[in-house]
Amino acid sequence: MPVDVDNSSTVSGDASVSSSGNQNPPPKSTSKKKRSLPGMPDPDAEVIALSPKTLMATNRFVCEICNKGFQRDQNLQLHRRGHNLPWKLRQRSGKEVRKRVYVCPEPTCVHHDPSRALGDLTGIKKHFCRKHGEKKWKCDKCSKKYAVQSDWKAHSKICGTREYKCDCGTLFSRRDSFITHRAFCDALAEESAKAQTNPGSEPDPKVLAVDSSPTPALPPASPPVSAPAPVEVQVSAPALPQSTSAMTSSVMPIQSSELAEDPSSVIEEAPDLAPAGLNGSCSSGVSSVSNGSSSGGGGGGGSVFASLFASSTASASLQPPAFTDLIRAMGPPDCPIDPALSTPIEPISLCLSTSHGSPVFGSAGQEHRQYAPPPQPAMSATALLQKAAQMGAAASNASLLRGLGVVSSTSSSAPQENLQWVQGQVEPSNASVAAGLGLELPCDGSSGLKELMMGTPVFGPKQTTLDFLGLGVAASGSPNGGLSALITSIGSGLDVTAAAASFGGGDFKDIGRR
Amino acid sequence: MFQDESSSVTSSSSPLQVFSMMSLSPKLGSPYPWIRELKSEERGLYLIHLLLTCANHVANGSLENANIALEQISQLASPGGDTMQRMAAYFTEALADRILKAWPALHKALNSTRITLVSEEILVRKLFFELFPFMKVAFVLTNQAVIEAMEGEKMVHIIDLNAAEPAQWVALIQALSARPEGPPHLRITGIHQRKEVLDQMAHRLTEEAEKLDLPFQFNPVVSKLENLDIERLRVKTGEALAISSVLQLHSLLASDDELDRKKSPLGSKNLNGIHLQRALQMNQSTSGELLEKDSANGYSPSPDSASSSPLSSAGSVKVDSFLNALWGLSPKLIVITEQDSNHNGSTLMERLLESLHSYAALFDCSESTVSRTSLERLKVEKMLFGEEIKNIIACEGAERKERHEKLEKWIQRLKLAGFGNIPLSYYGMLHARRLLQGYNCDGYKMKEEDGCVVICWQDRPLFSVSAWRCRK
Repeated sequence: MPVDVDNSSTVSGDASVSSSGNQNPPPKSTSKKKRSLPGMPDPDAEVIALSPKTLMATNRFVCEICNKGFQRDQNLQLHRRGHNLPWKLRQRSGKEVRKRVYVCPEPTCVHHDPSRALGDLTGIKKHFCRKHGEKKWKCDKCSKKYAVQSDWKAHSKICGTREYKCDCGTLFSRRDSFITHRAFCDALAEESAKAQTNPGSEPDPKVLAVDSSPTPALPPASPPVSAPAPVEVQVSAPALPQSTSAMTSSVMPIQSSELAEDPSSVIEEAPDLAPAGLNGSCSSGVSSVSNGSSSGGGGGGGSVFASLFASSTASASLQPPAFTDLIRAMGPPDCPIDPALSTPIEPISLCLSTSHGSPVFGSAGQEHRQYAPPPQPAMSATALLQKAAQMGAAASNASLLRGLGVVSSTSSSAPQENLQWVQGQVEPSNASVAAGLGLELPCDGSSGLKELMMGTPVFGPKQTTLDFLGLGVAASGSPNGGLSALITSIGSGLDVTAAAASFGGGDFKDIGRR
Repeated sequence: MFQDESSSVTSSSSPLQVFSMMSLSPKLGSPYPWIRELKSEERGLYLIHLLLTCANHVANGSLENANIALEQISQLASPGGDTMQRMAAYFTEALADRILKAWPALHKALNSTRITLVSEEILVRKLFFELFPFMKVAFVLTNQAVIEAMEGEKMVHIIDLNAAEPAQWVALIQALSARPEGPPHLRITGIHQRKEVLDQMAHRLTEEAEKLDLPFQFNPVVSKLENLDIERLRVKTGEALAISSVLQLHSLLASDDELDRKKSPLGSKNLNGIHLQRALQMNQSTSGELLEKDSANGYSPSPDSASSSPLSSAGSVKVDSFLNALWGLSPKLIVITEQDSNHNGSTLMERLLESLHSYAALFDCSESTVSRTSLERLKVEKMLFGEEIKNIIACEGAERKERHEKLEKWIQRLKLAGFGNIPLSYYGMLHARRLLQGYNCDGYKMKEEDGCVVICWQDRPLFSVSAWRCRK
């Protein structure tokens, strides 16, 4: 049957078939491979545009002399013999056959453009059939239709052979895809059972399958890791009580309204106290604190942290978050904060948020326990650092801090007040904690901390820190106010032989003498 | 006030005196018995104090004192204890390592027979990926950005600057194969130092692609990032290219700082001049600002690296030229995940203070997410966090690879290299947020900043993810 070859031109030149022409990639001299990647036709290739009729035709091998089509190459060769070609032309042309690429005749198709031509005749034929052809082949088991016979055959082999069915109802013909699906389908089902509202199903769950298979390898103590797999399930508000787990009900009582005045006391309470003790000490702490911290409390307290905790996270907006941070610091392993608190809140509303948290925390307590709660609530490292920063800042001269470029609001209040405050903080804590100044010193191991704090007033603002000013500033050299101020106070207490061990040791003698 | 304390102190009981006695004679058997009785909070505070003291001594070179501080810390710190104890353990190890470098031959000898098992390294990376949500969030955001950028593209080429975790691309393959317009032809070029890792990746990804009938090709490139030859990436002009960089760029900031500082002011200005030229090509309008910034920072070691312009250090040469090379490939999208902390200060104390805060957050996060007895957690803490800490604290110059910087500096750098920010999609962020919520742990927070996403623990930003396109 006659085969029409409509037109041919080079890819890199102007194609008369289509209008593109200039978007072709420059020839790559490094391409040594014969087969270029799909989508990137060889720029020197000859573009062949075949008519739809030709493409649909089943004869692939065409005689160049009479354009007769054959299904097999051998048949074509046999046929060519009959043309009595001169010997030279009888051989396949010795020179390298010019590479041919094919464009799709359908003008709306992407492959109509020579720069997106396909390199294989079979390929372009199949493409044309599939995309622009009539679907003549239908699967008898299901209703799927195919334009290309080989596609239809491949499908009918698989159709109906689905052996694997997941609990969620999806069918799979392949074992491996079934297993992959099931790995995070379980969690999916679990999550949707937990979540009471599920706003909108995910159209594309697969995006989130990042942590599918590795789940079995996880330590049993961390079940939540499998939970994240079905990301599409929303843990909405009702689910939050579970997620804001470990705030034990014991910590609840910290809703006393005075708390708003000094969040630092909150930190003190949480770590070491038994539930009952927490209540009692909390109130005592609060009462002692609320006296002492006038400017230190409330917004002032917040800015204390903001200015002292001058690490790179400090920003103008640190103030409210510092409070939420403190709340969280009440025992992060056990007491993650209700997300309601996560939005920056004013210091004053601190108590409100804690009280909001209360009904939530209680129920949440159980779940977080799964996370292997530490035997006693421990302060988070972040909170400890903040505390250290604040204590260090209280220790050093307010003017020293200013000199370092850190504005400290504690400077406004007399050191006395700070110390009282420091005192007050500690007071309600566990009796064994160094009770700060003016209190009985228990004879146990808390003396270390005592000294830390005692070091502060002992060194006093002016004297020792100024003496060691050179040391302090040189050592820290950073605007990190709080901790560097602590370093300064450490520096002043240090003595070459005793180093860390005796920070304040020498000074005790001084105190004693007074 | 002072009288109050003095009165209280004079009435103090013997432990204090015993203590001061003991401090004077550290040779006593167990010198600090009271230490063991400290409650966790006091112990934590004391540890911080000791760490700072020790670091101070190390910074000043008074190694004897540092040793004494280390002795004390060792009584309290423990890799299996609470967060502060663990942190202290790794920080002191880092400080000790630093001290030891004062005797380079000794240090070298001690480390000469160390065996690094590739399998352990791979395992630790995997554990970090599984136990913590950070990588997952980064992958979710990256993939979503890729999907959106590649809408309508038939040929997609992705370059992964550190192809270690197949899960990211498995998810992408699954997403792409389900796309309404049909899957594209996907080519992923993975870069990694170790061939084994790339082989594993290739195997896993090809398997997944075959399952889903997605035309796929994986090209491994075994190379260190700093020695990468861009030609090996075989990027075809005109193809849709996306680049994914997860925690890789900061190592390119490593350079011989000492060399830089020792150069005459003229020298460093010349260096800045080179930068200026390049910058001028990029963006004429900011050259005036750049000049001002450079002359201000010029030669003096910047006290706060967060404030100096990225151009003023030699360390930025490598990363700038790398970014320029990437820009030259005209990628449609480049997604960068980096730590969002300033661990690149020029002095030890700066870095120590900053890293204390950041790693405190990380260790807290670890404490809240995984049980204390978990061996996996221990491995991640030791082999990942611990090694990073060691690098930040104990190493200098070209050896110090963990040069984390704040997001704003990266933004500056990328803008100078000719990239424009693409805000991350709301859809992607929604997925990421749900992922975080699924962790049932309230500390994880995600916030948006200048079109970039920052993943925080409580209020401490830890990682940032941002997407960029080529700006002509």
